[in-house]
Amino acid sequence: MTLHSEVLELPDSPEAVYQAFCERKWCDGLPIIPPTPERVEAMLRSVAGDPAESLGPLPPLWGEATLEKLAVNSVMAGCRPEYFPVVVSAVEAMLDPAFNLYGVQATTHPVAPLLLVHGPYARSIEMQSGAGCFGPGFQANATIGRAIRLILMNVGGGWPGRHDMATQGSPAKFSYAIAENEDRSPWAPLHVELGYPPDLSVVTVFGGEAPHNVNDHVSTSAPGILHTVSDTAATLGSNVKWYLSQSQLLLVLGPEHAATISSDGFSKDDVKAFVFEHARLPLGTLKLGGMWGIQDWPDWMMAVTDDRALLPIVASPQEILVVVAGGAGKHSAVVPNCTFSRAVHRPLTRLRA
Amino acid sequence: MELAKGGTPAGLIATATFQPLAVSELQALGFGGLPLIVIDHPLGGERPEGVLRRAHQAVAELAALLGLSR
Repeated sequence: MTLHSEVLELPDSPEAVYQAFCERKWCDGLPIIPPTPERVEAMLRSVAGDPAESLGPLPPLWGEATLEKLAVNSVMAGCRPEYFPVVVSAVEAMLDPAFNLYGVQATTHPVAPLLLVHGPYARSIEMQSGAGCFGPGFQANATIGRAIRLILMNVGGGWPGRHDMATQGSPAKFSYAIAENEDRSPWAPLHVELGYPPDLSVVTVFGGEAPHNVNDHVSTSAPGILHTVSDTAATLGSNVKWYLSQSQLLLVLGPEHAATISSDGFSKDDVKAFVFEHARLPLGTLKLGGMWGIQDWPDWMMAVTDDRALLPIVASPQEILVVVAGGAGKHSAVVPNCTFSRAVHRPLTRLRA
Repeated sequence: MELAKGGTPAGLIATATFQPLAVSELQALGFGGLPLIVIDHPLGGERPEGVLRRAHQAVAELAALLGLSR
């Protein structure tokens, strides 16, 4: 296997390597695993393709996303080789024009690509879909998400304050990757809903804010929980609803909330329809601030004059994605998108047999 | 950039805070010579008189870029 990256000679000490990478602005501030040729080659052996093959140029500085560069950053992030196919598919998904990676990288909004992994591969690499899945403690989640961030910074050039113009950034920009909790879901997983076979593994990238908590300890019915979900989703400060044409909402329902909702006979489509109908704000509230005056609403919404009229925050129920993740407890999450990027799904096609 | 490629006089207006991003982006795409008109930051959230002041900042450079006299 022939590698093309520059070889850096450094003292054989973790501290020296860490310092050298920080000084060159090659890391996210956390310690890294040195990307030696042996480690990079091991990473590359887990996917089909030549190391020099590029998936495309990554904005905003348009560095070529070669498999080798992706592998280098995945090693640095702490990925095991078997995680690498997920990283590669996620980059392929982010390069879909619908994802608008330039916007995601350069915006002042605190957006980060959330990776959702569906299907059997997530289980085989022990990607956490249960308790605490958005948090620390799980190697696959932490390092796959971190690899994506390092790639966006080192290959794409999305450096905070210079080319990543996020006003405050987000903890989600360190790492943001979970698996769907298919075992605890009362419904078909997202990839099956989209038409993929259940045994195919698929990655979704969603340009989202950090999760907004939905705490509902008292509702014992679908409408009760979904009212709380809807109220959490409809806020003046979120981008969702202003640029309506690309607004999407991701609902990450905790298993207990999902079970309660399902036990009332609600399908996923019912959930979407209910939230579409109830996650609304009055026109009078929308006039108070946010992005009032620069919204891209359709003519029918622009024609509304009654301040009491309740206006939707997404264009249709189909713009609401529903997955189940998490463990015990009465919490769910709403993830609004940045509204200039749409969710993209890609099967894991580069797995080596 | 597409306009410039076709020979139409073109430039980019950016606020000062976004100047480094704009410069890097133009260079990365091979348009390092494209005129960059820099105005005060921010633009969003400014009152109309503030937006007007930024427009005045930009217009002289823009006129020169287009070969117009003011």
